[in-house]
Amino acid sequence: MDLIPDDPTLTVLAYSALSAAAAALGAVLLAAFGRGGRRELPTAWSGWANALAAGMMFAAAYLLAESGLAGPPLPAALGAALGALFIFTTHAALGIARPPRARGRRADPSGGRKAVVISALHSACEGVAIGVAMAVDLRFGIFLALAIAVHNVPEATVLCGVLTGRGMRLPAATALAVAADATQVLGAVAAFALASAAPAALPWVQGFAVGALINLVLIELLPDSYREAGHTSIALVASVAMGIVVLLRGLAP
Amino acid sequence: MSAGAGIAAAGPALLVFAYGLATALATGLGALPFAFVRRVSPRAVAFANAVAAGLMLGACFGLAAEGTRYGAWQTIAGANLGVVFILATQRWLGRREVTFGAAGGVEARRMMLIVVVMTVHSFAEGVAVGSAFGGGMELATAITIAIAVHNVPEGLAISAVLRPRGTSLAACAGWSVFSSLPQPLMAVPAFLFVEAFRPALPWGLGFAAGAMVFMVLVELLPEAYEDAPRPAIGLVATLTLVAMLLFQRYL
Repeated sequence: MDLIPDDPTLTVLAYSALSAAAAALGAVLLAAFGRGGRRELPTAWSGWANALAAGMMFAAAYLLAESGLAGPPLPAALGAALGALFIFTTHAALGIARPPRARGRRADPSGGRKAVVISALHSACEGVAIGVAMAVDLRFGIFLALAIAVHNVPEATVLCGVLTGRGMRLPAATALAVAADATQVLGAVAAFALASAAPAALPWVQGFAVGALINLVLIELLPDSYREAGHTSIALVASVAMGIVVLLRGLAP
Repeated sequence: MSAGAGIAAAGPALLVFAYGLATALATGLGALPFAFVRRVSPRAVAFANAVAAGLMLGACFGLAAEGTRYGAWQTIAGANLGVVFILATQRWLGRREVTFGAAGGVEARRMMLIVVVMTVHSFAEGVAVGSAFGGGMELATAITIAIAVHNVPEGLAISAVLRPRGTSLAACAGWSVFSSLPQPLMAVPAFLFVEAFRPALPWGLGFAAGAMVFMVLVELLPEAYEDAPRPAIGLVATLTLVAMLLFQRYL
């Protein structure tokens, strides 16, 4: 079976959709391992899931930066600065600079909505990364989409845990998590279209994705995980996840 | 290159050492910005940690990209060894009373760790420099200037950790230079026996990258998040990382 459709846009659509759909697997994990009627994730597990997602995302940013080495450095760097600033300002503007705590009876009630908005924005940036990687090279794009798909699983587990912890039923939480990740398809198609139509924009979009991904790791994923599990275990999980993704990329055809 | 030809190259070897020493001294310049900073609040320490984290992560991107060019799995295997090395060093430092200048306890351990990490990573860089020299002496000056300038932010990363914790400016510069001393020491044998050293290069580069990533994840970032708002920490670290990448590209 040929895994690459003839139409590149179709490839972008198919793989970014696959990546978004992987969020459903995260809900399955929560159903399997969540505790109690509210299906809450044990605190340390939530930290490790975030660290796993952080390591893979960081590796994705590294691979994307490395794939841009041949291009002009200045537009890429400016794009990266823009990406970082974009995340910083949208977080401040939407009032989501501090992600809601996953649990606790006194958890703030708007936390669920916040978590979904955060996840949608986060996924859109990952979509941009997938789309621009596809524009660089379809095979690289597919690799990145699959890596992000795996990364979406632990992330969705944590998101569903936040929602069920606030009383939402698991099927509804799953649907919301997949819907939030669907912004990935939008980001991917938009970035691919832009980078293909205007090759001069490619390093800018590439840089944007790198800056946004790194900033998301540093703002959203890591700080909470340090609070939920020990520093050493978080650092180990994240760095091993990073190494595995980079290694697989090195071995991939 | 055979050993006989290597001995014949003793003259150039001295030159490689001198050049390597010059790059090591350049690392001391990284302490310079701290001559202008007086009082250091916990918030400032947090931002200094974020800057150090960004510089080190940016350096890792460069090391990993360079290492995977020589061998992907060797680089990753080396990176795993680097992580284990930091874990072991942490345990070892944790079991004894360490003091670093006026600091003690956790602070001293963290200071010691960054000096150890940066020093160890210089071994790999020294091998990289020496091997590059083997490519032709006419490139020597260009490479030396590149490495020297590249060392300055590394000195900055060290000083950003040491200076806020009470280390004097001269000591910051001294430790920065110390951390780069393995460069001239490793560059000479690597230059003389390129063929023997080249297979070790991806391991060494990976080792350095793994050790630095782990150091950032386990020490610098968690501490930075404690004393300053995390969106600001994230932004500072990301922008520093990008600046470091750009810096490396132009050299």
